[in-house]
This record gives sequence, C-alpha cells and structure tokens, in this order.
Amino acid sequence: MTRSDTPFGPVSGPDMADWCALLNDDNQIHLTREAAEAAGFGPHRVNPGPANLAYLMSALMADDPDREITAVDARFVGNVLEDDHLVARTDGDEATLLRDGAPVVTATFTFGEPE
Amino acid sequence: MTTTRPYPTLAVGRFDLSGTRDDHVRRMSGAPARTDARAHPIFAFVGALGGLPLPIKDLSTSLGLDFDAGPVLARCRIAVARPLLVDRVYTVTPQIDRIERKPSRRYGHADHLHLEIALDDDTPFTTIALHIIFPAEEAAT
Repeated sequence: MTRSDTPFGPVSGPDMADWCALLNDDNQIHLTREAAEAAGFGPHRVNPGPANLAYLMSALMADDPDREITAVDARFVGNVLEDDHLVARTDGDEATLLRDGAPVVTATFTFGEPE
Repeated sequence: MTTTRPYPTLAVGRFDLSGTRDDHVRRMSGAPARTDARAHPIFAFVGALGGLPLPIKDLSTSLGLDFDAGPVLARCRIAVARPLLVDRVYTVTPQIDRIERKPSRRYGHADHLHLEIALDDDTPFTTIALHIIFPAEEAAT
C-alpha cells in the first residue's frame, strides 16, 4: 500500500452536534462557539475526538474496502475546529490526520481476519 | 502515583446500532456507502460512549474527576473480535482500569482515567481502552 492523501472538509459545526448526540456527550466546547472561545479555542467549535478518528478510518476504507480493521491504537495530539480543512494521510498500517500540515491524530491499524 | 481506592462497578448500558445511524456516520466522515451488514468501525468508539447509561461527563464527575476543567482525550486502543453489524442492539459494559494523578507540565497536576468499554451481543465484538486526562488542582494525598 502506498501513501495516500485524502482531503476532508470543511469540518461541519452542525455535524458536531450530531456526533455529540451519538456519543451522549454534552461538552459545550463541541456545541457552542461561546464555550469554545471561553476554553481558549477562539470562536470555533471543537470537533469531538472520535469524529477525527472516523475520518482516518473512512479514508482507509476508501483506499481498500476489502480490508478489515481488527485493531487500532490512536493518539490524539491536537484539536480540529469547525471549518477546518484536513488531510487524512494513510501509509500502510499507519495513518495521520493533518491540520495545516501538523498531526492531530496519529494511529496504527491492524488489518486481517477478526479473531 | 496511582490512586489506591476501590473503583465502583459501573452500570451496563445498551447501544442500538441502526442502519440509519451507520448511514449518518458514514456521511459525516466521508466513508464509502455500506455494502453489507458491517457497520463503520468507529462504532466501537461511538457505541461505547453512546451506550453508557449516563453521559461521560456524569460518569467522570461521579468518579471525582473535574470534567468542567476541560478533559483531553489522549489515546484509544480498539480491539475488534468481529465487525459490528447494523440493526443490532449491543450490551455496553464499562470498567475502570485505573485512575492516576500525576504531575503535569500543562496543568500542574492531572488525573488520568483509563476506562475500558466492551460491546457484545452474547459474544464479544469490540473493546475500547480510553485514556482521558482531566486537569486537577493539586497532588493526590
């Protein structure tokens, strides 16, 4: 598998509310710009972390729909804000979500037959 | 330093992984359309938190963690025994692995919650290990 870059964005503020509903997470930094600004993120809602990981998984699924993810080890090293444009970079079993060229999620995936 | 206290047994929840929810997550994350019953793999995470009997904020607060201080998701590890399938209801079983209070360059001190959540349907499907960091005001006593 060669390296692949998949663009994603702009990140939708309204989608953040839908992610939060699915996650049963009412952390206001994801839901209101006022809360995000008060927390030091500027007037931009903060994307829930699982959504950022989902972007990477979706890029891998688009690269090869037949591969089965059997394990993930993901580190969340930065934040994604509404209206951001991202790149999901996949390279074999490694994937990185980039914001302005800087990683916000780095992950190692294992593929194969589930146990 | 690991906080040495007995951790409470957490209540079991349920998560309804409908095809509609899967379609929506695929649209929001730019995934290909579903071609069979297999759900998007992020549901190992979404179902884990979404299926808890109480929001992660309330769970954290009940453990003495300061959710309002701004928790940070640091890491997750997902193990998939078999792919999650749509149109099934999964049992969601959370378990606290440990809570550690450590010095923090960023916060002074921080509580590190290590929480494991399994999704099963009589047979195991997925397990996620979450590491969430909560700012704390002082060292554990």
